[in-house]
Amino acid sequence: MSLLEIKNAHLKLDDKNILNGVSLSVNKGEVHAIMGPNGSGKSTLSYMLAGRDGYELEKGEILLDGISLSEMEADERARSGLFLAFQYPVELPGVGGMSFLREAVNSRRKFLGEEELDHLAFVKEARKEASKMYVKDEMLKRAVNVGFSGGEKKRFEILQMAMLKPTVSILDETDSGLDVDALKIVSDGVNAQRNSENAIVVITHYQRLLDYIVPDFVHILSDGVIIKSAGPELALEVEKNGYSGLINAA
Amino acid sequence: MQHSIKNYYINSIKNYTNQFEDTNFRRIACNDFKSWPSPREETWRLSRLGSLSRKKIKPINPNLKKNNYNTLNLIGSTIIQFVDGAYREDLSSKLPSGVNLSVLSDSESLKYLQKIKKSNLSDHPSTNVSLSCTPSIMKLTVSKDIKVKDFLEIIYEGGEDSKSVHPVLYLELEENSSLYLIERFNHLTSLAMPLQLIELRNKASLNSIKIFNDNEKTYNLSANCVYLSKESYLNSFSLIKGGIFTRSETHAYLNGCNAKLNLNGIYISCNKQHHDLTTAIYHDVPDCTSKQIVRGVLGGKSTGVFQGKVRVAKDAQRTDGQQMSRAILLSDTASANAKPELEIYADDVICAHGATVGELDDDQLFYLNSRGVHMDKAREILIKAFLEDMINQSVDNSLHDFVFKEAELALSSIITKETL
Ligand SMILES: Nc1ncnc2c1ncn2[C@@H]1O[C@H](COP(=O)(O)OP(=O)(O)OP(=O)(O)O)[C@@H](O)[C@H]1O
Ligand SMILES: [Mg+2]
Repeated sequence: MSLLEIKNAHLKLDDKNILNGVSLSVNKGEVHAIMGPNGSGKSTLSYMLAGRDGYELEKGEILLDGISLSEMEADERARSGLFLAFQYPVELPGVGGMSFLREAVNSRRKFLGEEELDHLAFVKEARKEASKMYVKDEMLKRAVNVGFSGGEKKRFEILQMAMLKPTVSILDETDSGLDVDALKIVSDGVNAQRNSENAIVVITHYQRLLDYIVPDFVHILSDGVIIKSAGPELALEVEKNGYSGLINAA
Repeated sequence: MQHSIKNYYINSIKNYTNQFEDTNFRRIACNDFKSWPSPREETWRLSRLGSLSRKKIKPINPNLKKNNYNTLNLIGSTIIQFVDGAYREDLSSKLPSGVNLSVLSDSESLKYLQKIKKSNLSDHPSTNVSLSCTPSIMKLTVSKDIKVKDFLEIIYEGGEDSKSVHPVLYLELEENSSLYLIERFNHLTSLAMPLQLIELRNKASLNSIKIFNDNEKTYNLSANCVYLSKESYLNSFSLIKGGIFTRSETHAYLNGCNAKLNLNGIYISCNKQHHDLTTAIYHDVPDCTSKQIVRGVLGGKSTGVFQGKVRVAKDAQRTDGQQMSRAILLSDTASANAKPELEIYADDVICAHGATVGELDDDQLFYLNSRGVHMDKAREILIKAFLEDMINQSVDNSLHDFVFKEAELALSSIITKETL
């Protein structure tokens, strides 16, 4: 059984068809990359999976580890092990980074039937993970994402992923806005979490990321449908020739 | 019928003040109280007193023996206690040296009245009614150069159903003195009309926290007139959460160069509460600063009002005046009104203002949800964050927890109600 199963997903936003029958199976231990032109529906797909209000499926089905997500709210999906690294992480003025992480981690632990971490244990754990992502302690004291640089926001997303230990992670353009060193840090952070029990879907425009996070499959999304799926070589082809040939052939 | 009830209140005040000579400040004030403000008056349009004027209320005859107040001394401060609007020495602490509390004589009271009458509070109902009916005007003075270290806390309690209470205070900080004052309004009365005149002499500094937490049936019409002299500083923070109708109206006159004013407030409203922060800041001389942050959280069928006037006179060059107000509605049936009003006659000024009324941000809620945080918890986190950073900016470090807890108590009932 697939860990994440998207079956014939259709979705409209403001009466506009955005997803027009997306199907995708992601198995344990796999990394999938989704590429596609601007506006093709990649972020929409990720919001739909995460359960954002207004992004309910019109038709189709999504299953996480065999369980339908349709009836679950976003928070329940997250606790069940779904994680979305946002293309544009949201600023939360007045909400301290450390207490935010703690709230998130304890929600997940409670769901897993694990004990909530006490304050000290938690801070220790958070600092350890943060240092791996080169996130300074000082950043954890600040309000979530407020005044963070573009790259800092992305590293903070992957730090959250590391702490939440999700079963399926969707990374929406986590590489955009990263300098060369940060790209390496973020990729190492993601790779460190790859194991035989979880799966990762990376949404990206650039082959460069896929040199670091090597995918098992690459899919091209265009106009809300996957028009082609293949191995990592497909990303190289896109890099070289762009999307137009692929779209015309579809 | 309505007419006769209105007259009932006026007549009972008249009857009381008639025992004094006609030159007495009480008689003068009483003659100036003709009726409750009408909604046709601009500043009362959004805060209507119709239902108050239909109540059969009488000024209280203070019971100086009432003694069932075991107020918790939460912040280790010196306490001054008012019951039924009357100062109670027997229930108050000994004051630190350099701080003095006294009763104004009739001639001093007349001067007090004249000072308030010169301000834009001259027609405020609390001015005229409270000066008519107060047991006495209490003057609190901090002597020159005295920096009071301990927090001073004034607690206003008492009152009863169908009665109005009238604590009147005159606070004077002499040159170069400083005070940290916490006032808590915990009345159990139909109507409370606290009146204050505050004068800050040169280089005086006052930190003030007011917590309005009257009984759920109380109308509180607090009126405050503040004069700031050269290089004086007022840092004022109000938390309005109690009463069925609480309006805190403050007029601050920046009369001396380099005076600094922070006039911040939070209101937390639920059920059918109506909360109103009305302020007017008058920059009459150059080089003064005023900053104002107002935040509201509303649930149930509550209504909130912020009216903030800033007037910069022609000579008040290099004025820095900032005003920000934001209200968050947690229910479809709550509403909030923000009415900033800038009147700027000087040309070299920095004045910024912004006012928003809205709901919690969907993107922020979704971000928290997407991290596994329940919707009700997510709302709670965002609302607390909305208030907490402002409380931290407004009050002394050692009082953050105390003030935040006071806010939290009011929030908890709204949050659970609105998320069920
Ligand atoms: N609320 C909305 N109503 C109507 N159309 C919308 C709405 N939100 C997004 N869209 C449209 O949906 C389409 C898909 O947007 P989406 O953000 O999913 O694209 P994307 O593939 O992530 O693009 P990018 O590569 O630029 O991030 C776009 O054409 C966008 O304009
Ligand atoms: Mg996108």
